[in-house]
Amino acid sequence: MSNLTKSIPADERKMLRKAFWRSFTLYAAVSPAKQGASGFCYSLMPFINKFYKNDEEGKKAALTRSMSYFNTTITCSTFIMGLVASMEKKNSEQDDFDASSINAVKSSLMGPLAGIGDSIFWGVLRVIAAGIAVGLGASGNILAPIVFLLLFNIPSILVKYYGTFLGYKLGSEYIQKVYASGLMNILTKAASIVGLIMVGGMTASMVTFNSTFELTMKGESVLNLQNMLDQIFVGIVPLGLTLLCYYLLKKKNISITVLIIGVIILSILLSLLGIA
Amino acid sequence: MLNAFLVALAVFICVGGAELIGFTMLNRPIVIGPLVGLLLGDLHTGVIIGASLEAVFMGVVNIGGASAAEPGIATAVGTAFAIMLGKGSEVALTLALPIGILGLQIKTVLYIFIVGMFAKTFDRLAAEGREKQIIALHYGLWAVNWALYSLFAFFGILFGSDAVSALLDAIPDVVMNGLTVCGGLLPAVGMAMLMKMLWDNKICMFYFLGFVLAAYLDLPLIALAVIGVIIAISIGMNDYRMNQLAAQRVAVSPAGGSDEYLDEEEEEFFS
Repeated sequence: MSNLTKSIPADERKMLRKAFWRSFTLYAAVSPAKQGASGFCYSLMPFINKFYKNDEEGKKAALTRSMSYFNTTITCSTFIMGLVASMEKKNSEQDDFDASSINAVKSSLMGPLAGIGDSIFWGVLRVIAAGIAVGLGASGNILAPIVFLLLFNIPSILVKYYGTFLGYKLGSEYIQKVYASGLMNILTKAASIVGLIMVGGMTASMVTFNSTFELTMKGESVLNLQNMLDQIFVGIVPLGLTLLCYYLLKKKNISITVLIIGVIILSILLSLLGIA
Repeated sequence: MLNAFLVALAVFICVGGAELIGFTMLNRPIVIGPLVGLLLGDLHTGVIIGASLEAVFMGVVNIGGASAAEPGIATAVGTAFAIMLGKGSEVALTLALPIGILGLQIKTVLYIFIVGMFAKTFDRLAAEGREKQIIALHYGLWAVNWALYSLFAFFGILFGSDAVSALLDAIPDVVMNGLTVCGGLLPAVGMAMLMKMLWDNKICMFYFLGFVLAAYLDLPLIALAVIGVIIAISIGMNDYRMNQLAAQRVAVSPAGGSDEYLDEEEEEFFS
């Protein structure tokens, strides 16, 4: 691990550390439309200032690039930041560098990393840490919150710290080779497969719906809607709703805000109709 | 008054702080419960309520940016009432869920109307290269957003548990039930956001594989991760071999008329 950090020149290491610290604030000004855009821009500023020192226009272009939509698990974000930083460096040095490839790499990686990262850190690590801490806390042990925070944060902050360097190192040395050889497509495809499986699993375990609708005749239940739904397909409502949201988001360009309000209204309607 | 301020402070530090320093889980019940207990002088009750509420809110997660409830304010206000009224953890448990659901709606409104309004401003500042303003806005929006959010906790405690219960009672049961249902369904939006980034018609069947494995076999996420990695590696290796084979073939036969057709076919296959 120390080899990883030592092989990078001292001044760049300093900048990477700065980006690592700044990346904690990634979602400080989170909004539905841009998610962590401003935090990403803020984290990359040390690099942009250095690489485009004598190039005012290049600097503005780089700031604009880094202000684009960014959404991934915060633990994985620094890997992408390191990679983007190394590409910005190349872009500032070479005239023929294709600047649009920077955001292409950024957006092709954030999806798979979010799918994998969210499920590992929110779905697995947090549940383990909370499970242990709840056991301690239930008996009144005041160490419970501290144990919880340490169990969750030590692994995730370590991943985040080394991710910064790994991304940077990988970027400046390999990324173009990887792109030219077509390996990048294979890697993003493989990562997306893991991501999709995890998102599918999370859809089943985290989107929940239980119908309370029941038809009774002479005190006997003749139709239990939830049982019927389960017989057709377990989790048909969460799956259907998630696919519908995806369809509206992707194909109809409905904004997240509208979608959230839509789900709230739908839920209240379901409750009004006595279905849930 | 002092208590209200302390609880609001705990909400600001924990819920706001979690957003400022990268979702470090400060806003979870197991952390904020003991903190409120400490501030109000009853650490023991705080820890116990924090632990039981953590179990209640275990399934409430923040995936892809969408969530089902906001456990932070729920725990802070619930724990505070339990300690101030000396009625034990039942008070906290009955109040926490509705407050958490309401808290999420407040948080969403703040996101949309406070921070969301400045999305264009950020773009403009970036295009003009005004870094200082970007940084100021980045932190400024955070402070305003969470100061406003903490106010709700402040007034909640200030007006007392009777007022809060009355407010919660004033919301019709059917609406409150709807919001609970909404808590279960809302993560769908977060999943959809992740899927928007991941979806590709050629590999979308893996989404359904993950769903079926979790829904029918009740496999935990860690098992899914292992299965996913195995599938991804074997497919990746296969693709890599194909890629190399294709590269070899191109190298052997110099570009000719018939190869173009082949290349096209391969490209389609790999993309």
